[in-house]
Amino acid sequence: MGRFLLRRILLVIPTLFGVLVVAFLLLHVAPGDPVAAMVGERADSLTVARLRAELHLDEPLPLRFVGYVGGLVTGDLGTSYVTRRPIARDLAERFPATLELALAAMLFASITGIAIGVLGAWRPGTWWDRFLTIGSYLGVSFPVYWVGLLLILVFAVQLRWLPPSGSRGVSYLILPALTLGMRSVAVLARMTRTALQEVLQSDFIRTARAKGLREAPVVLRHGLRNALIPIITVLGLDFGSYLTGSILTETIFAWPGVGRYVLDAIGKRDLPAIQGSILFLSVVFVLVNLLTDIAYAKADPRVAFE
Amino acid sequence: MRSPLPNPLYPRIPVRRLLLATLLPSLALGAGLSACGGRSHSSTIQYYLTNEPRSLDPALSTDVPSGEMVALLYDGLTQFDQDGHLVPGLASRWDIDAAGTTYTFHLRSGIKFHDGSALTAEDVAASWLRALDPKTGGGRAWPLLPIAGAKAFVAGSATSVPGIHVADDTTLVVRIDAPLSVFPKLIAMPVAAVAPAPLPANFADHPVGSGPWRFAAWDRGSEMRFARNPDYWGPEQAEAESIRVRIIPEALTIAAEYEAGLLHVAEVPFSETARWEQSHPTELQRRAAIRQLYVAINTTRGPLQDVRVRQALNYATDGATILRTVMGGRGVRTGGALPPGLAGFDSTLAPYPFDPAKAKALLTQAGHANGIDLELWRTGRSEYARLAVSLQQSWAEAGIRVTILERDAPTARAASAKGEADLFLTDWYADYPDAEGFLFPLFHSSNRGTGGNRAFLSDPELDQVVTQMRTTSDTALQARLARQADARAHDLAPWVFLWAPVDLWALSPDLTGWRVPAIFNGQHWTGVRFTTP
Repeated sequence: MGRFLLRRILLVIPTLFGVLVVAFLLLHVAPGDPVAAMVGERADSLTVARLRAELHLDEPLPLRFVGYVGGLVTGDLGTSYVTRRPIARDLAERFPATLELALAAMLFASITGIAIGVLGAWRPGTWWDRFLTIGSYLGVSFPVYWVGLLLILVFAVQLRWLPPSGSRGVSYLILPALTLGMRSVAVLARMTRTALQEVLQSDFIRTARAKGLREAPVVLRHGLRNALIPIITVLGLDFGSYLTGSILTETIFAWPGVGRYVLDAIGKRDLPAIQGSILFLSVVFVLVNLLTDIAYAKADPRVAFE
Repeated sequence: MRSPLPNPLYPRIPVRRLLLATLLPSLALGAGLSACGGRSHSSTIQYYLTNEPRSLDPALSTDVPSGEMVALLYDGLTQFDQDGHLVPGLASRWDIDAAGTTYTFHLRSGIKFHDGSALTAEDVAASWLRALDPKTGGGRAWPLLPIAGAKAFVAGSATSVPGIHVADDTTLVVRIDAPLSVFPKLIAMPVAAVAPAPLPANFADHPVGSGPWRFAAWDRGSEMRFARNPDYWGPEQAEAESIRVRIIPEALTIAAEYEAGLLHVAEVPFSETARWEQSHPTELQRRAAIRQLYVAINTTRGPLQDVRVRQALNYATDGATILRTVMGGRGVRTGGALPPGLAGFDSTLAPYPFDPAKAKALLTQAGHANGIDLELWRTGRSEYARLAVSLQQSWAEAGIRVTILERDAPTARAASAKGEADLFLTDWYADYPDAEGFLFPLFHSSNRGTGGNRAFLSDPELDQVVTQMRTTSDTALQARLARQADARAHDLAPWVFLWAPVDLWALSPDLTGWRVPAIFNGQHWTGVRFTTP
């Protein structure tokens, strides 16, 4: 297990350096002038020229890259062109909101999705299995944008049970978490149903039943544990994407997370903010993947051994 | 009429049911239901912005959201009211010398910043120098560039600005390079607002001004809060106790917030116009915006150099139908670039009529009997998507074949500023309510490209009229010259002239004293009060 972990952690370094190089190059060759985005529609050429010099935008690309990496080594993600604030500080202020939303969505999705999947696998072909299967297909099909606005319309405007948007407490968390988790519920339900159904056909399950074990321990303790690998995969991937890419949900619900921060930065061509965000989110994604791998090894020790 | 939410807590039972039903992990997150902001919070105005301000520092206020918030916290020597009129601000009056180049501003005495320190002419001078200093990183100091020596200071060849002279604590003498009638309006812009000098510690996070509202808090990405300044010097005091300004980017969410009773004002989305006119007829306010929606025609590219081709584009545009069907009728068709409400707007200057036959004839005269192929650039704004397709269909009737290129805003703007776009669908907001703010940046040859003249128009006659308009102090002559310049622009057709949009806002019955502002930084939220205590 120790060697497995060490190997996975060492792989993180070249991965992040690759992300750094690609993000830097892509952003600096992409069209759109950050200074033009800053100064607005009516800009005088004198100010534009001075500002480009102030922001080191006239320096050769390799020099800027070295300067950027030098800053990173000392823990400095840079300063936003637009707000003139340290990017690390902006991200530190925004990430807790993203994490809160991602955790809520993941808990909702995992509990609901796995429960639906287990029910379907336990009694395949029954009316509730068919109903839940259709429901999960619909869940996958609906776009986040549509689901979010529909939930706002029903629960905030018509019923007035919940606030439409914002982030001042748990009642504000419900609609965005439902919206974000909806798709994962569907995927997890289908994945759990398929994997568990396969496991429940195994010889060891038949043996467990023959020994007179009650059905619940057979399905949940013996069956579900052995069906966990694909479920963990989905959980890990979805959680990683929630932490790094819930831009639509954050926009619809005015949720002050990292997704909206990145979107704003892209719209303003705030290069240091985009680069810093990409790097930060890559670290988060890599860490989530690492945790997923550890969870694999826990669920199935053969993974670490291999 | 909508009933307000039973704040501060939402009903507990439905929420619990919902939590149970959806298995949401509320308890796992270790928090209970919290109080939510709402209209019924006593005396707190609930407002919003669609984008987070860049900063609350006036020197960095290059965007509209920052400008709106700067108008709450700070004052300028001059400022705009809700109707866009220029009114005295920190300066109770000003004198202009006979040459029209020296302004003497007389500041009100006894004005204090929110931290209790006295505001003097030294603060004004220091604030302007800071805004001009490239090290500040603002990038939008052009309203102050007419001041003598400002350009050299920005260029780094001078360390001071000789045109700014502090005569005493309440007198500031400003010398400008050449007569410029619009100068008092330029210094009403947010970038010229006054902050204490030296800046208080932690100014970026806790801004201090002298305006009708004091800074209270800023939760980044979420909301800002301002409290009434009881010591405000102005003629009209803030009536409410506080303002909460939330950041809500999505237009339909804003509409839902208003309908749920959680915002006091909301702009009605274009797509919702008809429904709101039916469901909220008594709450709606309209105002013709000082803004123009247009297609900039690059007058230096291929067939577009020929004025007949540009006029053909205008004749081929079924503007009235597109305005009615695509934009819910929320606009006023104009024949030129000036929107209604500005001195110099000529209501007799008729828009180009929709006449595809005439458009074809003009194209034939210009040697394009088989039509022409062009590229129309647009940004990703949702109303532009339908508008661009409608224009494409309208022009096709006259043989003008257009490919639509959608790009993100910085890319599209950069391409049009470099002259790479044949046609660019865009709009122009007034920085200040004056015809000069349209005709000079949009058509004067000195502003081609990044300066605002995206049509790259260069017409000596138009340049001369606009220059004369800028320098004269005779307001009647200014208006006449503005009409003349606008008519000239109409004839030269550097744009496909579309319409001046009409703003449509809903105002909660709980509030009174609020009007749709004519200019973004003209809304100070003073005089806005609750209808019930």
